[in-house]
Amino acid sequence: MSTIEKPVEPGPGPSVPTDAQTAEHLEIRRSVKRAERVAAASRVLFWIVLLFGAVIFLTPLYVMVTMSLKTANENATSDIWAWPQHVTWQNFVEVLTNPNANFFYFFRNTVVIAFLSTFGALLSSALVAYPFARLRFRGRDRLFIVLLSTMMLPGIVTQIPTFVLYKYLHWIDTFYPLIIPAYFGGGAFNIFLLRQFFMGIPRELDEAAIIDGASHATIFWRIIMPNSGAALATVGIFALVYNWKDFLGPLLYLNSPDKQTLELGLRTYQSLNDNKWELLMAGSVVVMIPLLIIFFVGQRYFVKGIVMSGIK
Amino acid sequence: MKLLRVVAAGVLLVLAAVGQADRVQLRFTVWDGDVSLKVIRGVLQQFEKENPDIEVKLEPYPDYNLYHQKMITQYAANAAPDVSMMDPGHFQALAKRGALLPLNQFFDKDPSFHLDAYYKPIVDSMSYQGKLYVLPRDIAPEGIIYYNKEMFREAGIPYPDGTWTWDFKERPELKEKDFLWVMHKLTKFGPDGRVKTFGYLPAWSGIFADMCMYTTGLTFANSDEHPTKLNYDTPGMHKVYNFANDLIRNKHWMPSQSDVSTLFQASTTQMFIRKEAAMYQNGIWEVPNIRHDMPLGSNGWFDWDIALAPAYKDGTRGSDSGGSGYGIFSSTKYPEQAWRLTKYMGGPIAMRAMAAAGIAQPAIRAVALTHAWIPGPDTPKEQQWPHNRIATDQAVPYVHYGPTADYWQSVNNVVSARIGSIWDGSLPVDEALHLGNVEGQQRLDELLKDEHLPDFNWGAGLGFALLLIALILGAIYWPERGVRYTLKQRKENWAAYRFISPWVIGLIVFTVGPMILSLLMSGLQWDMITAAQFRGAGNFREAFTEDPTFWPSIRVTMVYTLLSTPLGILVAFVLALLLNQKVRGVTLFRTAYYIPSIASAVATALIARKVFAPDDGLFNKVLYSPWFQKFGWWLSGVVGTPKDHINWFNNEKTAMPALIMLGLWGVGGAMVILLAGLQGIPQFYYEAATVDGASPWQRMKAITLPLVTPSLFFTLVTGFIGSFQIFTQVYVITGGSGGGPNNSLLVYMINLYDAAFQQDRMGYAAALAWVLFFIILMFTLLQLKMSKWVYYEAEAK
Repeated sequence: MSTIEKPVEPGPGPSVPTDAQTAEHLEIRRSVKRAERVAAASRVLFWIVLLFGAVIFLTPLYVMVTMSLKTANENATSDIWAWPQHVTWQNFVEVLTNPNANFFYFFRNTVVIAFLSTFGALLSSALVAYPFARLRFRGRDRLFIVLLSTMMLPGIVTQIPTFVLYKYLHWIDTFYPLIIPAYFGGGAFNIFLLRQFFMGIPRELDEAAIIDGASHATIFWRIIMPNSGAALATVGIFALVYNWKDFLGPLLYLNSPDKQTLELGLRTYQSLNDNKWELLMAGSVVVMIPLLIIFFVGQRYFVKGIVMSGIK
Repeated sequence: MKLLRVVAAGVLLVLAAVGQADRVQLRFTVWDGDVSLKVIRGVLQQFEKENPDIEVKLEPYPDYNLYHQKMITQYAANAAPDVSMMDPGHFQALAKRGALLPLNQFFDKDPSFHLDAYYKPIVDSMSYQGKLYVLPRDIAPEGIIYYNKEMFREAGIPYPDGTWTWDFKERPELKEKDFLWVMHKLTKFGPDGRVKTFGYLPAWSGIFADMCMYTTGLTFANSDEHPTKLNYDTPGMHKVYNFANDLIRNKHWMPSQSDVSTLFQASTTQMFIRKEAAMYQNGIWEVPNIRHDMPLGSNGWFDWDIALAPAYKDGTRGSDSGGSGYGIFSSTKYPEQAWRLTKYMGGPIAMRAMAAAGIAQPAIRAVALTHAWIPGPDTPKEQQWPHNRIATDQAVPYVHYGPTADYWQSVNNVVSARIGSIWDGSLPVDEALHLGNVEGQQRLDELLKDEHLPDFNWGAGLGFALLLIALILGAIYWPERGVRYTLKQRKENWAAYRFISPWVIGLIVFTVGPMILSLLMSGLQWDMITAAQFRGAGNFREAFTEDPTFWPSIRVTMVYTLLSTPLGILVAFVLALLLNQKVRGVTLFRTAYYIPSIASAVATALIARKVFAPDDGLFNKVLYSPWFQKFGWWLSGVVGTPKDHINWFNNEKTAMPALIMLGLWGVGGAMVILLAGLQGIPQFYYEAATVDGASPWQRMKAITLPLVTPSLFFTLVTGFIGSFQIFTQVYVITGGSGGGPNNSLLVYMINLYDAAFQQDRMGYAAALAWVLFFIILMFTLLQLKMSKWVYYEAEAK
């Protein structure tokens, strides 16, 4: 922080301006103007670049929407970028009312699984991240490596043993394998992420609280959590998106059609030699809307950075 | 009277309950999608009505590849369904391990069942060592040519009647009886010299070469059930591949590999519907898709039909074939009921229903010859196409299923990487075939080597596991053994342990067991079904010294990781800085940049295909536009195709850069993390700095950069961990078939996945996984060691 604390050089005191000084003043004003113009121009350029990039990143949404509004015939024969000649809502009607792939069940199951597991992941990863970030305890640094190492073994080779374990717990064809583990740590990724953020919260905050005799639980709930809005929103969004769109987990652990999730159930429109792009896209648009809304709303918490008030 | 009625009702209720209790529930799994499921559900209802003692629980898993993975997983965990859909390429892995019941034991005693009613080739393909394991429900010969009648009419060529033949050179004197002459006549070039309409379009690149191979009496290997010797390096094979290559690259009568590859959900059926080809070779399963995408009377509808594919000039016929059926898991508690269900679903009633819906050709010939399948006078107009459906019956005697052995996939991966270099032009035909044969044979020999391994002693395994756990615990405790704590510090210790206890419990319950078991597995020869054998360091030795794909996959993965992760984080960081401004509409921008991370994977794949297409792809349109074309053509020369537009995903030099560019689409996740990191910087630092007169650049250098390093460090560490394990993206791009052009996209996980679920070699897969684990661990420890640049505001020293 040394550069900030450096005192700013005192400016010249008020005095009668000489001609030379006036000329200098004008020169400065002109250069300020120029700088402003450059700044304005660069701002415009910046928005153009950003807008251009956004267009590229929006293409998947555009294609999803247009394909969901076209008939199968038009999807097969028209260009992928073309807007539908005749907008049809039939695909949405069909996906939402198909009795062989009950959208309502899929949606309900997905909401239950995604929200319960996201809540668990948020709560438990914050709890676990706190001591890794801010406390001293025996074995901390090595336990942290153990934590990271759980991300390093490809899941393919632990898949069958894990399945056997869940079978002994009688969890197959229930939502438990997709929800309960989130309450036990919430995943190394989330713990690591929150640890990084917790380590960025100024130490003065909890030192003051400790002097006031606060326990670690109090510090965690009163200081760490309220000051981590952006980080918690990030973890929440990631966990929710992950669980909402998870395919392999539900495929492995759920058997009954009425327990399937959206990502799994909609695959019925994309099976071997039987692709119905228009229905798949209509379903995907509906699946994506809640995520978009949550991401959009979740950002409000991004701007709630560190607040100094409320520690006294 | 009233009382009597109540009693009677009560008795009836009890009887119904008893009847209900006697009902047996059978789990029945299929990989079918929407269209077939509708039919199957209807048939099952009928079955339950006729068999009141059986209740069928239909479980659809509509993902063909993961379906087999789930079956193996379930069987290994003793949680397999009763009756399951199977096909020739996958059943042997289960049958040879005793996971499926031989069906002979049932139908030998069942006078109402006649196996000779079924087409013989499909019965043979689903038998192993003389026993039938899968009862066929359908057969799908690929010796079928769909053709656009209008194009034949315009060219003045009579419609094919199946009596045509082919030769290695065009035979104009035979006219429409010569397949090559027809192909040639129907190919149309535009004014720019590019092909407008191909005379012939194969559903995928191999289907044509396979047809030429079978019709000239050749095969891939010496046996389908138990191949031991490859036949790729024979004069006949060289002739076939040179011939196909000439038609593609010099004559342009059929499209190149990139147009018909399975990359990115490509659909050759759509090329046929878009009139980009006059003839199209594919299985009969495409009929519902054509009807669906080009309904009668729709915009651009044209008259079409099918014909028998040509024979070789000496009259020999042959083609690949598909087909599927139902098998019974040996773990079923109700074999008799399971057989009844199997017999019904693989029987005439179910077949007739599937045929009437136009989905599948019945595996029982008598049913295939009824008007349920062959259009008759009563067939609805919609379902009249294709008229000449009898061709599907005529093609059956000449079908080949190719090798069905479970180890074939591994050999095929090695060979097809070389064959792929023929289609993308990176290797001359003769050299590619020779190398493919040598390398494939070497792999085959290794896989067939009988090692006489001892059975694994699980007691010793348990001992080893306990020892390992003790060692890890010791390693955690030991370095701090001498540290003495004050009372306050001890309190802090206990508080910390309480906080991390959920994770520790989760680790012990859910994670440690499977991880240790997989470590034990790395020393075993084990499919998780039959008894495990101890192989010691054999799996690791095989990876390091024998498996020809191991070192290339390490190289490919390293290149990908070292390039894509830093690049992605750089882009994400710049984006996060830009989108960290307090400006109106910035939330919309943030959402926009996050969209590819939450969008449908199919949509992104379809777009990627459009963007990187060689001729009309957006990327090349810019690259070869007047502004950049000098650079574009220079680049073409660099990647070895000086006269063509770069074919990004089908060129071994550009596939990896294209994959990395595509990965940038997914920077939204890292951007969100960095954005949160930027937002987490206390605002009062900036306020203080501004009051002190610090310039924006100074604020950036002194506040923003140091305080965002924890988030940057996080994205780096997790980015590397993730990209070492990249799989899904490549799997989508290559369509689940190997490692891309000349294995330039053969990332580590592709090998691992094949070992685990294509070959059922869990021991070898575990060894590969632990090698990767240690590579990633070393890499991560290195990063932690070098993390002095990370600034933590409140480091607990």
